[in-house]
Amino acid sequence: MLRGSLAIWQRDMLILRRSIISELVAVVAYPLTIYLAFGIGMQGYIGLVDGAPYSLFIAPGLITMTAVNAAYNESVWSLWFHRRVQFTIESYRVTPISVSEIVIAKILSGFTHGIIKGCVVGLVIFAITPFRFPLEHLVQYLLFLIPGSAFFSCAGVISGTVMDKPETIGKVEAVLVMPLIFMSGLFFPLSSYPSTVIPWVRALPTTALFEGARRALVAGEMMPTAAVQISLSALLTFVAAVYIFRRKMSE
Amino acid sequence: MNTSALSIHTLTKAYGALTALDSFNLEVDQGSIFGLLGPNGAGKTTLIRILTTLMRQSSGSATIEGFDIFQSGQEIRRIIGVVSQENSLDRYLTARENLELHARLHGMERRLYAPRIDELLELMGLSGRQKDFPDTFSGGMQRRLVIARALVHLPRVLFLDEPTTGLDPQSRRAVWEYIRSLAGKMTIFLTTHYLEEAEQLCDRIAIMDHGKLIAIGSTQELKDHLNGATVYEIDFAEGAAHSAELLGNMPCVIDIKQIGNKVVVTLECWECLAEIVTALNGAPVRRISLQERTLEDVFISLTGEKVRE
Repeated sequence: MLRGSLAIWQRDMLILRRSIISELVAVVAYPLTIYLAFGIGMQGYIGLVDGAPYSLFIAPGLITMTAVNAAYNESVWSLWFHRRVQFTIESYRVTPISVSEIVIAKILSGFTHGIIKGCVVGLVIFAITPFRFPLEHLVQYLLFLIPGSAFFSCAGVISGTVMDKPETIGKVEAVLVMPLIFMSGLFFPLSSYPSTVIPWVRALPTTALFEGARRALVAGEMMPTAAVQISLSALLTFVAAVYIFRRKMSE
Repeated sequence: MNTSALSIHTLTKAYGALTALDSFNLEVDQGSIFGLLGPNGAGKTTLIRILTTLMRQSSGSATIEGFDIFQSGQEIRRIIGVVSQENSLDRYLTARENLELHARLHGMERRLYAPRIDELLELMGLSGRQKDFPDTFSGGMQRRLVIARALVHLPRVLFLDEPTTGLDPQSRRAVWEYIRSLAGKMTIFLTTHYLEEAEQLCDRIAIMDHGKLIAIGSTQELKDHLNGATVYEIDFAEGAAHSAELLGNMPCVIDIKQIGNKVVVTLECWECLAEIVTALNGAPVRRISLQERTLEDVFISLTGEKVRE
Protein backbone atom coordinates (compact mmCIF):
# COMPACT_ATOMS: atom_id res chain seq x y z
CA MET A 1 0.00 0.00 0.00
CA LEU A 2 2.82 2.37 0.82
CA ARG A 3 4.79 1.61 -2.36
CA GLY A 4 4.16 5.14 -3.62
CA SER A 5 5.19 6.69 -0.30
CA LEU A 6 8.41 4.70 -0.37
CA ALA A 7 9.23 5.78 -3.94
CA ILE A 8 8.67 9.48 -3.14
CA TRP A 9 10.55 9.24 0.17
CA GLN A 10 13.49 7.58 -1.62
CA ARG A 11 13.43 10.42 -4.14
CA ASP A 12 13.57 12.98 -1.30
CA MET A 13 16.43 11.11 0.38
CA LEU A 14 18.37 11.01 -2.90
CA ILE A 15 18.10 14.80 -3.11
CA LEU A 16 19.15 15.13 0.55
CA ARG A 17 22.16 12.88 -0.06
CA ARG A 18 23.25 15.01 -3.00
CA SER A 19 23.17 18.23 -1.00
CA ILE A 20 24.01 16.87 2.44
CA ILE A 21 27.14 19.00 3.02
CA SER A 22 25.55 22.35 2.19
CA GLU A 23 22.37 21.35 4.06
CA LEU A 24 24.31 20.44 7.18
CA VAL A 25 26.51 23.53 7.12
CA ALA A 26 23.38 25.67 6.97
CA VAL A 27 21.55 23.69 9.61
CA VAL A 28 24.45 23.62 12.08
CA ALA A 29 25.29 27.31 11.71
CA TYR A 30 22.06 28.65 13.25
CA PRO A 31 21.89 26.70 16.54
CA LEU A 32 25.63 26.95 16.96
CA THR A 33 25.49 30.73 16.65
CA ILE A 34 22.72 30.84 19.24
CA TYR A 35 24.70 28.53 21.51
CA LEU A 36 27.83 30.68 21.25
CA ALA A 37 25.96 33.98 21.59
CA PHE A 38 23.61 33.02 24.41
CA GLY A 39 25.20 29.99 26.02
CA ILE A 40 28.71 31.35 26.24
CA GLY A 41 28.18 35.10 25.84
CA MET A 42 25.42 35.37 28.44
CA GLN A 43 26.65 32.61 30.74
CA GLY A 44 28.51 34.95 33.06
CA TYR A 45 25.46 37.17 33.52
CA ILE A 46 22.87 34.41 33.95
CA GLY A 47 24.71 31.89 36.12
CA LEU A 48 22.85 28.69 37.01
CA VAL A 49 19.39 27.85 35.66
CA ASP A 50 17.56 24.98 37.36
CA GLY A 51 20.89 24.07 38.92
CA ALA A 52 22.77 23.84 35.60
CA PRO A 53 25.07 26.34 33.82
CA TYR A 54 23.10 28.31 31.21
CA SER A 55 25.05 26.86 28.28
CA LEU A 56 24.08 23.35 29.37
CA PHE A 57 20.49 24.39 30.05
CA ILE A 58 19.91 25.52 26.45
CA ALA A 59 21.92 22.78 24.67
CA PRO A 60 19.21 20.05 24.59
CA GLY A 61 16.64 22.61 23.48
CA LEU A 62 18.87 23.73 20.61
CA ILE A 63 19.25 20.15 19.38
CA THR A 64 15.49 19.62 19.61
CA MET A 65 14.80 22.99 17.97
CA THR A 66 17.08 22.09 15.05
CA ALA A 67 15.29 18.79 14.52
CA VAL A 68 11.77 20.17 14.61
CA ASN A 69 12.65 23.25 12.57
CA ALA A 70 14.23 21.05 9.92
CA ALA A 71 11.18 18.77 9.89
CA TYR A 72 8.83 21.74 9.55
CA ASN A 73 10.87 23.53 6.89
CA GLU A 74 11.40 20.45 4.75
CA SER A 75 7.69 19.59 4.79
CA VAL A 76 6.33 23.06 4.22
CA TRP A 77 8.71 24.14 1.46
CA SER A 78 8.90 20.78 -0.24
CA LEU A 79 5.14 20.46 -0.44
CA TRP A 80 4.63 24.05 -1.56
CA PHE A 81 7.40 23.82 -4.16
CA HIS A 82 6.20 20.50 -5.59
CA ARG A 83 2.59 21.68 -5.62
CA ARG A 84 2.91 25.27 -6.81
CA VAL A 85 6.23 25.56 -8.65
CA GLN A 86 7.31 22.23 -10.04
CA PHE A 87 3.84 20.65 -10.37
CA THR A 88 5.34 17.27 -9.46
CA ILE A 89 2.47 16.54 -7.07
CA GLU A 90 0.21 16.61 -10.12
CA SER A 91 2.49 14.22 -11.98
CA TYR A 92 2.32 11.84 -8.95
CA ARG A 93 -1.46 12.11 -8.92
CA VAL A 94 -1.88 10.69 -12.42
CA THR A 95 -0.14 7.48 -11.34
CA PRO A 96 -1.95 4.65 -9.49
CA ILE A 97 -0.78 5.79 -6.03
CA SER A 98 -3.25 7.39 -3.64
CA VAL A 99 -3.23 10.96 -2.36
CA SER A 100 -2.63 9.59 1.14
CA GLU A 101 0.57 7.92 -0.03
CA ILE A 102 1.86 11.28 -1.32
CA VAL A 103 1.19 13.09 1.93
CA ILE A 104 2.62 10.26 4.04
CA ALA A 105 5.80 10.38 1.93
CA LYS A 106 6.16 14.10 2.52
CA ILE A 107 5.60 13.69 6.27
CA LEU A 108 8.20 10.91 6.37
CA SER A 109 10.70 13.03 4.46
CA GLY A 110 10.25 15.98 6.82
CA PHE A 111 10.59 13.66 9.79
CA THR A 112 13.79 12.10 8.41
CA HIS A 113 15.30 15.52 7.73
CA GLY A 114 14.50 16.49 11.31
CA ILE A 115 16.04 13.40 12.89
CA ILE A 116 19.21 13.52 10.74
CA LYS A 117 19.80 17.24 11.24
CA GLY A 118 18.98 17.08 14.97
CA CYS A 119 21.50 14.27 15.42
CA VAL A 120 24.21 16.14 13.51
CA VAL A 121 23.72 19.30 15.58
CA GLY A 122 23.79 17.12 18.70
CA LEU A 123 27.10 15.64 17.63
CA VAL A 124 28.59 19.07 16.88
CA ILE A 125 27.48 20.48 20.23
CA PHE A 126 28.81 17.35 21.88
CA ALA A 127 32.15 17.73 20.10
CA ILE A 128 32.85 21.42 20.65
CA THR A 129 31.13 22.23 23.94
CA PRO A 130 31.33 20.84 27.46
CA PHE A 131 27.74 19.59 27.16
CA ARG A 132 27.65 15.87 28.02
CA PHE A 133 24.91 13.39 28.75
CA PRO A 134 24.90 9.68 29.63
CA LEU A 135 24.22 7.63 26.48
CA GLU A 136 21.42 5.70 28.18
CA HIS A 137 19.44 8.95 28.36
CA LEU A 138 19.26 8.96 24.58
CA VAL A 139 16.42 6.42 24.49
CA GLN A 140 14.18 8.60 26.68
CA TYR A 141 15.17 11.66 24.64
CA LEU A 142 14.19 9.95 21.38
CA LEU A 143 10.75 9.29 22.86
CA PHE A 144 10.30 13.06 22.63
CA LEU A 145 12.36 13.84 19.55
CA ILE A 146 10.58 11.33 17.29
CA PRO A 147 6.99 12.45 17.96
CA GLY A 148 8.20 16.06 18.09
CA SER A 149 9.71 15.83 14.62
CA ALA A 150 6.61 14.02 13.37
CA PHE A 151 4.39 16.76 14.86
CA PHE A 152 6.33 19.55 13.16
CA SER A 153 6.56 17.62 9.89
CA CYS A 154 2.77 17.20 9.85
CA ALA A 155 2.33 20.88 10.73
CA GLY A 156 4.62 21.73 7.80
CA VAL A 157 2.56 19.58 5.47
CA ILE A 158 -0.60 21.40 6.58
CA SER A 159 1.01 24.82 6.00
CA GLY A 160 2.44 23.76 2.62
CA THR A 161 -0.97 22.47 1.60
CA VAL A 162 -3.16 25.40 2.57
CA MET A 163 -0.79 28.25 1.75
CA ASP A 164 -0.36 29.20 -1.87
CA LYS A 165 2.02 32.15 -1.43
CA PRO A 166 5.58 31.77 -0.14
CA GLU A 167 5.38 35.03 1.83
CA THR A 168 2.44 33.61 3.82
CA ILE A 169 4.57 30.61 4.77
CA GLY A 170 7.28 32.99 6.03
CA LYS A 171 4.73 34.98 8.03
CA VAL A 172 3.27 31.87 9.69
CA GLU A 173 6.76 30.77 10.63
CA ALA A 174 7.51 34.17 12.19
CA VAL A 175 4.17 34.63 13.94
CA LEU A 176 3.31 31.08 15.00
CA VAL A 177 6.08 28.51 14.72
CA MET A 178 9.03 30.43 16.16
CA PRO A 179 7.03 31.91 19.09
CA LEU A 180 5.71 28.41 19.90
CA ILE A 181 9.30 27.15 20.05
CA PHE A 182 10.86 30.12 21.83
CA MET A 183 8.12 30.58 24.43
CA SER A 184 8.07 26.95 25.51
CA GLY A 185 11.05 27.16 27.82
CA LEU A 186 13.85 26.75 25.31
CA PHE A 187 15.91 29.66 26.69
CA PHE A 188 14.46 30.04 30.18
CA PRO A 189 12.73 27.87 32.80
CA LEU A 190 8.92 27.86 32.79
CA SER A 191 8.99 29.11 36.37
CA SER A 192 9.90 32.52 34.90
CA TYR A 193 6.32 32.93 33.71
CA PRO A 194 3.64 34.43 35.98
CA SER A 195 1.85 31.60 37.78
CA THR A 196 -1.43 32.33 35.96
CA VAL A 197 0.23 31.83 32.59
CA ILE A 198 2.09 28.60 33.39
CA PRO A 199 -0.90 26.21 32.92
CA TRP A 200 -1.52 27.71 29.49
CA VAL A 201 2.09 27.36 28.47
CA ARG A 202 2.17 23.80 29.76
CA ALA A 203 -0.83 22.97 27.58
CA LEU A 204 1.23 23.68 24.47
CA PRO A 205 2.61 20.59 22.72
CA THR A 206 5.89 22.43 22.17
CA THR A 207 6.30 22.89 25.94
CA ALA A 208 5.77 19.16 26.46
CA LEU A 209 8.35 18.53 23.77
CA PHE A 210 11.11 20.92 24.92
CA GLU A 211 10.60 20.43 28.62
CA GLY A 212 10.33 16.65 28.34
CA ALA A 213 13.28 16.38 25.95
CA ARG A 214 15.54 18.47 28.18
CA ARG A 215 14.78 16.51 31.34
CA ALA A 216 15.14 13.22 29.46
CA LEU A 217 18.51 14.11 28.01
CA VAL A 218 20.10 15.91 30.95
CA ALA A 219 18.64 14.06 33.94
CA GLY A 220 17.36 10.84 32.40
CA GLU A 221 13.94 11.76 33.83
CA MET A 222 10.87 10.54 32.03
CA MET A 223 7.80 12.81 31.92
CA PRO A 224 5.05 10.39 30.81
CA THR A 225 2.35 13.07 30.56
CA ALA A 226 4.55 15.20 28.33
CA ALA A 227 5.47 12.19 26.18
CA VAL A 228 1.80 11.27 25.74
CA GLN A 229 0.91 14.91 25.04
CA ILE A 230 3.44 15.32 22.22
CA SER A 231 2.67 11.85 20.82
CA LEU A 232 -1.06 12.56 20.75
CA SER A 233 -0.42 15.95 19.17
CA ALA A 234 1.67 14.25 16.48
CA LEU A 235 -1.10 11.73 15.83
CA LEU A 236 -3.78 14.42 15.61
CA THR A 237 -1.75 16.61 13.25
CA PHE A 238 -1.01 13.52 11.13
CA VAL A 239 -4.73 12.82 10.73
CA ALA A 240 -5.37 16.52 10.06
CA ALA A 241 -2.53 16.71 7.51
CA VAL A 242 -3.80 13.71 5.55
CA TYR A 243 -7.38 15.02 5.66
CA ILE A 244 -6.47 18.58 4.64
CA PHE A 245 -4.18 17.43 1.83
CA ARG A 246 -6.82 15.02 0.45
CA ARG A 247 -9.44 17.75 0.63
CA LYS A 248 -7.20 20.27 -1.12
CA MET A 249 -6.37 17.82 -3.89
CA SER A 250 -10.04 17.09 -4.54
CA GLU A 251 -10.83 20.78 -5.08
CA MET B 1 -18.33 -5.31 -28.03
CA ASN B 2 -17.49 -1.74 -27.06
CA THR B 3 -14.58 -0.41 -29.12
CA SER B 4 -14.61 3.04 -27.57
CA ALA B 5 -11.49 3.98 -25.64
CA LEU B 6 -13.32 6.96 -24.19
CA SER B 7 -17.01 7.28 -23.68
CA ILE B 8 -18.34 10.52 -22.23
CA HIS B 9 -22.02 11.06 -21.35
CA THR B 10 -23.54 14.44 -20.37
CA LEU B 11 -20.40 15.35 -18.42
CA THR B 12 -20.85 18.64 -16.58
CA LYS B 13 -18.51 20.65 -14.39
CA ALA B 14 -19.64 23.85 -12.71
CA TYR B 15 -17.57 26.25 -10.62
CA GLY B 16 -20.27 28.20 -8.82
CA ALA B 17 -22.16 30.09 -11.51
CA LEU B 18 -19.63 29.23 -14.22
CA THR B 19 -20.26 26.07 -16.20
CA ALA B 20 -16.93 24.93 -17.62
CA LEU B 21 -18.34 21.72 -19.12
CA ASP B 22 -21.95 21.62 -20.16
CA SER B 23 -23.55 18.19 -20.81
CA PHE B 24 -20.56 17.11 -22.87
CA ASN B 25 -20.89 13.90 -24.92
CA LEU B 26 -18.11 12.19 -26.85
CA GLU B 27 -16.93 8.79 -28.08
CA VAL B 28 -13.31 8.17 -29.03
CA ASP B 29 -12.35 5.00 -30.90
CA GLN B 30 -9.60 2.72 -29.59
CA GLY B 31 -6.25 3.24 -31.30
CA SER B 32 -7.22 6.56 -32.88
CA ILE B 33 -5.62 9.97 -32.55
CA PHE B 34 -8.36 12.33 -31.43
CA GLY B 35 -7.96 16.10 -31.38
CA LEU B 36 -9.92 18.49 -29.21
CA LEU B 37 -9.88 22.13 -30.29
CA GLY B 38 -11.35 25.17 -28.68
CA PRO B 39 -10.50 28.75 -27.80
CA ASN B 40 -9.03 29.66 -24.39
CA GLY B 41 -11.51 28.87 -21.63
CA ALA B 42 -13.55 26.53 -23.83
CA GLY B 43 -13.26 23.75 -21.23
CA LYS B 44 -10.58 21.55 -22.81
CA THR B 45 -8.27 21.38 -19.80
CA THR B 46 -11.22 20.89 -17.42
CA LEU B 47 -12.28 17.90 -19.53
CA ILE B 48 -8.76 16.41 -19.49
CA ARG B 49 -8.46 16.96 -15.72
CA ILE B 50 -11.74 15.12 -15.15
CA LEU B 51 -10.81 12.27 -17.49
CA THR B 52 -7.42 11.85 -15.83
CA THR B 53 -9.11 11.74 -12.38
CA LEU B 54 -7.45 14.96 -11.19
CA MET B 55 -10.85 16.57 -10.77
CA ARG B 56 -14.39 15.37 -10.05
CA GLN B 57 -17.26 16.12 -12.40
CA SER B 58 -20.40 17.84 -11.10
CA SER B 59 -22.61 15.38 -12.97
CA GLY B 60 -22.60 12.97 -15.88
CA SER B 61 -20.28 10.05 -16.42
CA ALA B 62 -17.31 8.88 -18.47
CA THR B 63 -15.45 5.64 -18.96
CA ILE B 64 -11.91 5.00 -20.15
CA GLU B 65 -11.36 1.55 -21.59
CA GLY B 66 -14.54 0.53 -19.76
CA PHE B 67 -13.46 1.92 -16.35
CA ASP B 68 -15.69 4.54 -14.76
CA ILE B 69 -13.76 7.71 -13.90
CA PHE B 70 -15.65 8.19 -10.64
CA GLN B 71 -15.48 4.64 -9.32
CA SER B 72 -12.26 3.24 -10.79
CA GLY B 73 -9.75 6.07 -10.51
CA GLN B 74 -6.83 3.84 -9.62
CA GLU B 75 -7.47 1.41 -12.51
CA ILE B 76 -7.72 4.36 -14.89
CA ARG B 77 -4.46 5.88 -13.68
CA ARG B 78 -2.81 2.53 -14.27
CA ILE B 79 -3.68 2.58 -17.99
CA ILE B 80 -3.31 6.26 -18.88
CA GLY B 81 -0.31 8.43 -19.63
CA VAL B 82 -0.62 12.17 -19.16
CA VAL B 83 1.38 15.02 -20.67
CA SER B 84 0.06 18.12 -18.95
CA GLN B 85 0.38 21.71 -20.13
CA GLU B 86 2.85 22.56 -17.38
CA ASN B 87 6.36 21.19 -17.42
CA SER B 88 6.07 18.96 -14.36
CA LEU B 89 9.54 17.43 -14.59
CA ASP B 90 11.47 17.10 -11.36
CA ARG B 91 14.40 19.48 -11.83
CA TYR B 92 16.35 17.88 -8.99
CA LEU B 93 16.36 14.48 -10.70
CA THR B 94 18.25 13.59 -13.85
CA ALA B 95 16.33 12.70 -17.01
CA ARG B 96 16.72 9.00 -16.27
CA GLU B 97 15.79 9.38 -12.60
CA ASN B 98 12.61 11.22 -13.63
CA LEU B 99 11.58 8.20 -15.67
CA GLU B 100 12.65 5.73 -12.96
CA LEU B 101 10.57 7.49 -10.31
CA HIS B 102 7.53 7.41 -12.58
CA ALA B 103 8.05 3.70 -13.24
CA ARG B 104 8.30 2.99 -9.50
CA LEU B 105 5.11 4.96 -8.86
CA HIS B 106 3.49 2.62 -11.37
CA GLY B 107 4.78 -0.35 -9.39
CA MET B 108 7.15 -1.50 -12.12
CA GLU B 109 10.15 -3.63 -11.17
CA ARG B 110 13.64 -2.54 -12.15
CA ARG B 111 14.13 -5.49 -14.52
CA LEU B 112 11.07 -4.28 -16.45
CA TYR B 113 11.57 -0.55 -16.36
CA ALA B 114 15.32 -0.36 -16.99
CA PRO B 115 15.18 -1.68 -20.60
CA ARG B 116 11.96 0.27 -21.26
CA ILE B 117 13.63 3.50 -20.15
CA ASP B 118 16.69 2.74 -22.32
CA GLU B 119 14.36 2.25 -25.28
CA LEU B 120 12.39 5.46 -24.65
CA LEU B 121 15.49 7.59 -24.12
CA GLU B 122 16.91 6.26 -27.36
CA LEU B 123 13.66 6.87 -29.21
CA MET B 124 13.41 10.45 -27.93
CA GLY B 125 17.04 11.18 -28.74
CA LEU B 126 17.90 11.73 -25.08
CA SER B 127 20.20 8.77 -24.41
CA GLY B 128 23.31 10.93 -24.35
CA ARG B 129 21.73 13.34 -21.86
CA GLN B 130 20.13 10.82 -19.49
CA LYS B 131 22.40 11.81 -16.58
CA ASP B 132 21.73 15.53 -17.03
CA PHE B 133 19.14 17.57 -15.17
CA PRO B 134 16.09 18.83 -17.11
CA ASP B 135 16.97 22.48 -16.40
CA THR B 136 19.91 22.10 -18.79
CA PHE B 137 17.61 20.89 -21.61
CA SER B 138 16.03 22.95 -24.39
CA GLY B 139 12.24 23.34 -24.37
CA GLY B 140 11.90 20.66 -27.04
CA MET B 141 14.04 18.17 -25.12
CA GLN B 142 12.08 18.78 -21.92
CA ARG B 143 8.83 18.17 -23.77
CA ARG B 144 10.18 14.96 -25.25
CA LEU B 145 11.21 13.85 -21.77
CA VAL B 146 7.71 14.57 -20.42
CA ILE B 147 6.24 12.47 -23.25
CA ALA B 148 8.75 9.68 -22.52
CA ARG B 149 7.74 9.79 -18.85
CA ALA B 150 4.08 9.40 -19.80
CA LEU B 151 4.95 6.32 -21.87
CA VAL B 152 7.18 4.43 -19.41
CA HIS B 153 4.38 2.16 -18.18
CA LEU B 154 3.01 1.43 -21.68
CA PRO B 155 -0.33 3.25 -21.29
CA ARG B 156 -3.38 2.29 -23.33
CA VAL B 157 -4.63 5.88 -23.53
CA LEU B 158 -2.32 8.87 -23.79
CA PHE B 159 -3.58 12.36 -22.92
CA LEU B 160 -1.62 15.22 -24.43
CA ASP B 161 -2.69 18.67 -23.24
CA GLU B 162 -1.18 21.16 -25.69
CA PRO B 163 2.01 19.10 -26.06
CA THR B 164 3.88 21.46 -28.38
CA THR B 165 3.00 24.85 -26.93
CA GLY B 166 6.09 27.05 -26.83
CA LEU B 167 8.24 24.80 -29.02
CA ASP B 168 10.12 25.93 -32.10
CA PRO B 169 8.94 24.48 -35.45
CA GLN B 170 11.72 21.85 -35.55
CA SER B 171 10.96 20.56 -32.05
CA ARG B 172 7.25 20.64 -32.80
CA ARG B 173 7.73 18.51 -35.89
CA ALA B 174 9.90 16.05 -33.94
CA VAL B 175 7.12 15.65 -31.36
CA TRP B 176 4.54 15.21 -34.14
CA GLU B 177 6.66 12.53 -35.73
CA TYR B 178 6.81 10.62 -32.50
CA ILE B 179 3.07 10.97 -31.85
CA ARG B 180 2.42 9.69 -35.38
CA SER B 181 4.66 6.69 -34.70
CA LEU B 182 2.38 5.76 -31.77
CA ALA B 183 -0.72 5.71 -33.96
CA GLY B 184 -2.60 2.42 -33.63
CA LYS B 185 -0.56 1.28 -30.62
CA MET B 186 -2.62 3.33 -28.16
CA THR B 187 -5.45 5.84 -28.15
CA ILE B 188 -4.20 9.41 -28.17
CA PHE B 189 -6.37 12.25 -26.91
CA LEU B 190 -4.82 15.58 -27.84
CA THR B 191 -5.80 19.16 -27.14
CA THR B 192 -4.08 21.90 -29.08
CA HIS B 193 -4.24 25.52 -30.14
CA TYR B 194 -2.37 24.74 -33.33
CA LEU B 195 -4.90 23.86 -35.99
CA GLU B 196 -2.15 22.63 -38.28
CA GLU B 197 -1.16 20.18 -35.54
CA ALA B 198 -4.69 18.78 -35.34
CA GLU B 199 -4.91 18.62 -39.13
CA GLN B 200 -1.58 16.81 -39.40
CA LEU B 201 -2.08 14.31 -36.60
CA CYS B 202 -5.69 13.59 -35.85
CA ASP B 203 -8.05 11.02 -37.33
CA ARG B 204 -11.00 12.87 -35.84
CA ILE B 205 -11.36 16.33 -34.42
CA ALA B 206 -13.90 17.85 -32.07
CA ILE B 207 -14.39 21.58 -31.63
CA MET B 208 -15.75 22.78 -28.31
CA ASP B 209 -16.69 26.18 -26.99
CA HIS B 210 -18.32 27.40 -23.77
CA GLY B 211 -18.09 23.85 -22.42
CA LYS B 212 -20.12 22.35 -25.26
CA LEU B 213 -19.26 20.18 -28.22
CA ILE B 214 -20.08 22.16 -31.34
CA ALA B 215 -18.64 20.05 -34.17
CA ILE B 216 -16.99 16.68 -34.67
CA GLY B 217 -15.61 14.77 -37.62
CA SER B 218 -12.54 14.28 -39.79
CA THR B 219 -10.78 17.41 -41.07
CA GLN B 220 -12.53 17.05 -44.41
CA GLU B 221 -15.93 16.51 -42.80
CA LEU B 222 -15.48 19.65 -40.73
CA LYS B 223 -14.49 21.65 -43.80
CA ASP B 224 -17.58 20.35 -45.58
CA HIS B 225 -19.68 21.80 -42.76
CA LEU B 226 -18.82 25.28 -43.99
CA ASN B 227 -21.46 26.91 -46.18
CA GLY B 228 -21.28 26.35 -49.95
CA ALA B 229 -19.40 29.58 -50.70
CA THR B 230 -16.14 29.12 -52.61
CA VAL B 231 -13.26 31.54 -52.93
CA TYR B 232 -11.20 31.99 -56.12
CA GLU B 233 -8.11 34.03 -56.67
CA ILE B 234 -7.82 35.56 -60.17
CA ASP B 235 -4.41 36.81 -61.29
CA PHE B 236 -4.49 39.49 -64.05
CA ALA B 237 -1.62 40.65 -66.25
CA GLU B 238 -3.22 44.14 -66.19
CA GLY B 239 -6.58 45.86 -65.67
CA ALA B 240 -7.44 44.12 -62.39
CA ALA B 241 -9.40 47.15 -61.11
CA HIS B 242 -11.63 47.26 -64.17
CA SER B 243 -12.33 43.50 -63.97
CA ALA B 244 -13.03 43.72 -60.22
CA GLU B 245 -15.64 46.43 -60.90
CA LEU B 246 -17.21 44.26 -63.58
CA LEU B 247 -17.34 41.13 -61.39
CA GLY B 248 -18.55 43.08 -58.36
CA ASN B 249 -21.83 43.84 -60.14
CA MET B 250 -22.61 40.15 -60.79
CA PRO B 251 -25.39 38.66 -58.61
CA CYS B 252 -23.54 35.41 -57.76
CA VAL B 253 -20.56 37.29 -56.28
CA ILE B 254 -20.82 37.56 -52.49
CA ASP B 255 -17.60 39.43 -51.85
CA ILE B 256 -14.72 40.81 -53.89
CA LYS B 257 -11.29 42.19 -52.96
CA GLN B 258 -8.59 43.58 -55.19
CA ILE B 259 -4.95 43.30 -54.09
CA GLY B 260 -2.63 44.67 -56.80
CA ASN B 261 -3.07 42.53 -59.89
CA LYS B 262 -5.03 39.94 -57.94
CA VAL B 263 -8.78 39.79 -57.36
CA VAL B 264 -10.13 37.52 -54.62
CA VAL B 265 -13.74 36.72 -55.34
CA THR B 266 -16.18 34.81 -53.10
CA LEU B 267 -18.91 33.05 -55.05
CA GLU B 268 -22.24 31.68 -53.82
CA CYS B 269 -21.27 28.23 -55.14
CA TRP B 270 -18.66 26.70 -57.38
CA GLU B 271 -21.16 26.45 -60.26
CA CYS B 272 -20.98 30.25 -60.63
CA LEU B 273 -17.42 29.96 -61.88
CA ALA B 274 -18.65 29.41 -65.48
CA GLU B 275 -20.46 32.78 -65.39
CA ILE B 276 -17.29 34.47 -64.12
CA VAL B 277 -15.15 32.95 -66.86
CA THR B 278 -17.69 34.10 -69.47
CA ALA B 279 -17.74 37.60 -68.04
CA LEU B 280 -13.97 37.78 -68.16
CA ASN B 281 -13.86 36.87 -71.84
CA GLY B 282 -10.97 38.78 -73.43
CA ALA B 283 -9.52 40.01 -70.10
CA PRO B 284 -5.77 39.33 -69.62
CA VAL B 285 -6.23 36.52 -67.02
CA ARG B 286 -2.99 34.72 -66.11
CA ARG B 287 -4.39 32.25 -63.59
CA ILE B 288 -7.56 31.31 -61.70
CA SER B 289 -7.04 29.25 -58.56
CA LEU B 290 -9.36 27.84 -55.90
CA GLN B 291 -8.56 28.88 -52.33
CA GLU B 292 -8.78 25.76 -50.14
CA ARG B 293 -10.82 26.20 -46.95
CA THR B 294 -8.68 25.51 -43.92
CA LEU B 295 -9.45 24.07 -40.52
CA GLU B 296 -8.86 27.58 -39.25
CA ASP B 297 -11.79 28.81 -41.39
CA VAL B 298 -13.96 26.12 -39.79
CA PHE B 299 -12.70 26.99 -36.31
CA ILE B 300 -13.28 30.73 -36.73
CA SER B 301 -16.69 30.22 -38.32
CA LEU B 302 -17.76 28.08 -35.35
CA THR B 303 -16.15 29.93 -32.47
CA GLY B 304 -16.08 33.52 -33.78
CA GLU B 305 -13.25 35.98 -34.32
CA LYS B 306 -13.46 37.70 -30.96
CA VAL B 307 -10.34 37.30 -28.80
CA ARG B 308 -11.06 35.42 -25.53
CA GLU B 309 -9.80 36.57 -22.17
